[in-house]
Formats: sequence, C-alpha cells, structure tokens
Amino acid sequence: MSDINIKKVSYLAKLELNEEKAALYEKSLSEIIEWVDNLKKLDTEGVEPLHNITEKSQNLRNDEVLKENSTEQVLSNAPEKAQNFFRVPKVVE
Amino acid sequence: MPTIKEIKNQLSNKNISVQELYNDYYNKAKKSKLNSFNHLLEPEYNKENINSSQARYDEGKDLSLDGIPLGIKDLFCTKGVPTTASSKILEKFIPEYESRVTQNLLNDGSLFLGKNNCDEFAMGSSNETSFFGPVINPWKNKNNTDSQLVPGGSSGGSASAVAEGICVASIGTDTGGSIRQPASLCGVVGLKPTFGSCSRWGVVAFASSLDQAGPITNSVEDAAYLLNSISSHDPNDSTCSSHKRDNFIESVGKSFDRPITVGIPSDYLKDINSDIAEQIENTKKHLLKLNVNIVDVEFTTTDFALSTYYILAPAEASSNLARYDGIRYGYRGEGNTLEEIYINSRSEGFGEEVIRRILIGTYVLSAGYYDAYYRKAQKVRRLIKNDFQRIYNEVDFILTPTTPNEAFQIGKKLDPISMYMNDIFTVPTSLAGLPAISLPSGLSNNGLPLGIQLIGNYFQEKSLLQMASLLEKEFCFNE
Repeated sequence: MSDINIKKVSYLAKLELNEEKAALYEKSLSEIIEWVDNLKKLDTEGVEPLHNITEKSQNLRNDEVLKENSTEQVLSNAPEKAQNFFRVPKVVE
Repeated sequence: MPTIKEIKNQLSNKNISVQELYNDYYNKAKKSKLNSFNHLLEPEYNKENINSSQARYDEGKDLSLDGIPLGIKDLFCTKGVPTTASSKILEKFIPEYESRVTQNLLNDGSLFLGKNNCDEFAMGSSNETSFFGPVINPWKNKNNTDSQLVPGGSSGGSASAVAEGICVASIGTDTGGSIRQPASLCGVVGLKPTFGSCSRWGVVAFASSLDQAGPITNSVEDAAYLLNSISSHDPNDSTCSSHKRDNFIESVGKSFDRPITVGIPSDYLKDINSDIAEQIENTKKHLLKLNVNIVDVEFTTTDFALSTYYILAPAEASSNLARYDGIRYGYRGEGNTLEEIYINSRSEGFGEEVIRRILIGTYVLSAGYYDAYYRKAQKVRRLIKNDFQRIYNEVDFILTPTTPNEAFQIGKKLDPISMYMNDIFTVPTSLAGLPAISLPSGLSNNGLPLGIQLIGNYFQEKSLLQMASLLEKEFCFNE
C-alpha cells in the first residue's frame, strides 16, 4: 500500500470529501499509484525530462496589450457581480 | 452516408438548398434518442449563416465547407452558444469568444448544428462521465440486441452522431485517444493530428501538452477537408506550429510513387483477442495487395506508456482545473468566506472521475512526490518519443489496433484501471505527439465495428491520409 493521505491531498486541491468518499478515493488512488509505480523499473539515469513535444518550436508573440473584451463581456458569466467587479464575501476585516 | 464533396455537389447543382440541408440534419438530430448533443442550434439561430452560404453557392463562390452541418464537441468555446465540457461546473457558461478551430470552420462556411456530448472535461473512455448522461452507440451487438452500448470516449457524442448520420462530421479532441477510440467503437474515421497542428486556443483545457483537436468523419476524404480548415498557426497558442500547412485533400485516393513500409509492433499484439487479431491480419493482406512492405518492429517502452500518461495527464489536469473556483465564471457553491466558496463550488461542481484525476494530479505534483512520479514520467516520455523515432528510421507508418475490444455495455461499471486500459494502443502516440488515424476495418463476431490505427511521423498527415484512403478503399467498410 502507498502512503496516500487523502485528507491532505483533497485539502491541497480545494475539494471536500465526506468520510465515505474519502475512503473510496483513498483506495482508488492507492491502486492507481501502485499501478503506475512500474516506472520505477525503468532506468532513466541521465535522461532529460520532456516537458513539451514541440520543445524547439515555442512561438512567442510580442507582449502587447490588446483590447478584445469589454468589461461587460468579461463579467457576463460571473456568478455574482457588483458594478464593474466580481463580487465575493468580505476578505479583509 | 454522403461525403462532404458529394453534398457540396448537390448544393452547387441546386438539388437541395442550404436551408433544406440544414433542416434535414436538424430534424434528424432532434429526433435522435442517443443523447449525442448537449445543445442543438435551431435553423432560426443559424439563419444569417445559412443565407450567406446560399448566396455564395448562387454566385458559384462557395467556400471549402460551405453549408456543411457539423457537430462540435462541447469542449470548444463557441461565442454566444453554451459550452459546458459536459460538466455541472460549466452548465451555464456562455463564451464571449470563439475558439480558433471553430472560427476557422466558420470562416470556411460550415454551419454548427450543435455541441456534442462528451465525457466530463474529456476525462473518460466511454462517455459515461458526462453530467448530461451517457451517449448511446448507434450499433447493436447482434447477439444481445437489447443492451445499449457505449460509443467510447471522450468524444463519444461526436462519434455517435457521425455514425448515426445526424451531422455530416464532427470536431473532437484527443488527449490519450479521445478521437480514435470512439471512432473505432462507432465505425467511423477519427484523426488526431500532430500536437501543434491545431490551435488549442478556446478549447477547454485538460492536459495542455497532449490535447489536440481533430475530425471525426465518415470518410478519410472528409477528414482531409476538415483538417485543411482547422490546421493553422495561431499566435494565441505558443505550442501551435508556424510551418506552412499542406493541402491534405490533394493526395487522398492517389497511389504512392515511392515504396512504402509499414511496421507492425509485435509487442502491441501480445495479448489481443481474436477479433482484434483478425483486423490486423486482414489489414496485412490488403497492405500486401497495395504493394506495401510489412516489417515487424518492437517497442521497448509500451508497457510504461499508460503509467506515464496517468501521471502526466492528471498532473496537467489538476493544474488546469484550478481555475474553476466559482468566482469569475461557472458554478458557485454557497459560502461565507472565499475558501468556502472555492471548496463548495469545486466539490459540488465536479463529477466523480474529474475529482479522481484532480486528486491523482495533486498527489503526484505534491512536495516529496514530484521527482518520484511527475519528473520520472517526463523522463519516460522522452524515452517513448525516442522509441518511436528509432522505429521511424525504418518505416513510413506504424499499424496497430485502435482499441483492445469492441464497444461494451453502458453501465458495466468498469473500475478505473480497466477503463484506462481501453487507451492502451492510443496513449503512446499521444505521448509522442505523433499523428494517428483510426479507420473502420471490419466487424467483430458480435457484429460490432472495429478499427485499426495508422500512425505517421511528425506533420506527415498528408501521406498518412493518403495511406488511410488507399486502405479505406480496400476495406469497403461503408458498402
């Protein structure tokens, strides 16, 4: 068995799991992690990690400000808004 | 099923109007009981586009996809049209902008019939993780006609709709097999282009180093038509290649003027069932008839591909899905503090499989495990890429089965690992970023469609489609 602390992992992911779900996911994750653990059998000494398959062709564009959205558009999907802002509960006392 | 070229001829010859064509598909789609669309667009909604398309036909100035009714996987942002990723968390999301891929399709005159159902956030291989319910495969097991079968996933709605004939073609996305596997299980063509061919801008992100858009169609030629439209450079996606694109239609149906070698990896065929083995044997015969050289090849990394994928893809997903916090868009849960809103929005908004992937990803990226899992998997990914390049020194294409089995029953409730094994033949190609096409090759003993996968080298879609079109003619699957 692996040492998965499901409470800690779900806390990091901002997810809340009830006791029943936490137990199910802990079991499921343990099985999956055990399954992927076969990678340890492979010698990767000296191999460079591959982050992106197109590593040699990153196409960066100039850092220019483009005005493509109006405030109204940006806010159009907001669950709660007030004037020109996203509305959230009070953050500072 | 009529091809895009045939439909365009009908429209040019005025045998049918763009409006009639759209209404025809719309009515079929509306009557369908397979749940392959999350959202259908009424003829009235598309009125302006239909009229301008008709006007271009009337002037003989029709565009490459003019008037063609397409399905779009509900993962592409479509301006003013709900885009849900089949998730509760995006149930009411209406984008204010158009994805690059769908904008290209609109620029070429196509009409969007609606948004195709898919697995939630494209995470699944059976289309059963959708918040809007499973999609049903139009095919039936001849020995068990009562049971409903999965279409595969995650682009299950796209594949089911194309197979049922309620849209001419559909655009899906493929991260580890999400175009090719459902295409295979529904008896249609599915192409995953080289990573970097099509812009990911405006596509709801799952795993950014793997996600790629591609066509699901009834023929190889249709796939070429669509690839011509969707493959283009986009400054908004830094991983989208800037090379000049080929015309992919030109070579479809033409014989090769050079000797072609196809490699068949013996390690892929170790444990396959007799249905799948028959597809490969049958394909070999056709290849020999086409004067193609067949050689045995062997990978050294195949056994590690799924493990690598199920570390990297969830890791990228956990990072990408961090944006769903209930603040700027999407579902918001109740809460008296920001923290409570984050947690309740995510816990209530995401489905079971999405939560599992986020948890796996968070675990493998967390302090103390990063090197052992994430970094290790990235190193193995390079070995997988090198393994393919070694084999491409000897061959032009690689032939494998697309899936290890035929379509299975809805609700069979496979455990996660058994479900993940469905992508055993498609995942290595995804990790290497190579282009691959699934082609319907025949039927199983139960009368269900099966496909073979042809894999090409980087950006060799033109010759890949050419090879596929020659095999397609041999298989006569649609006749």
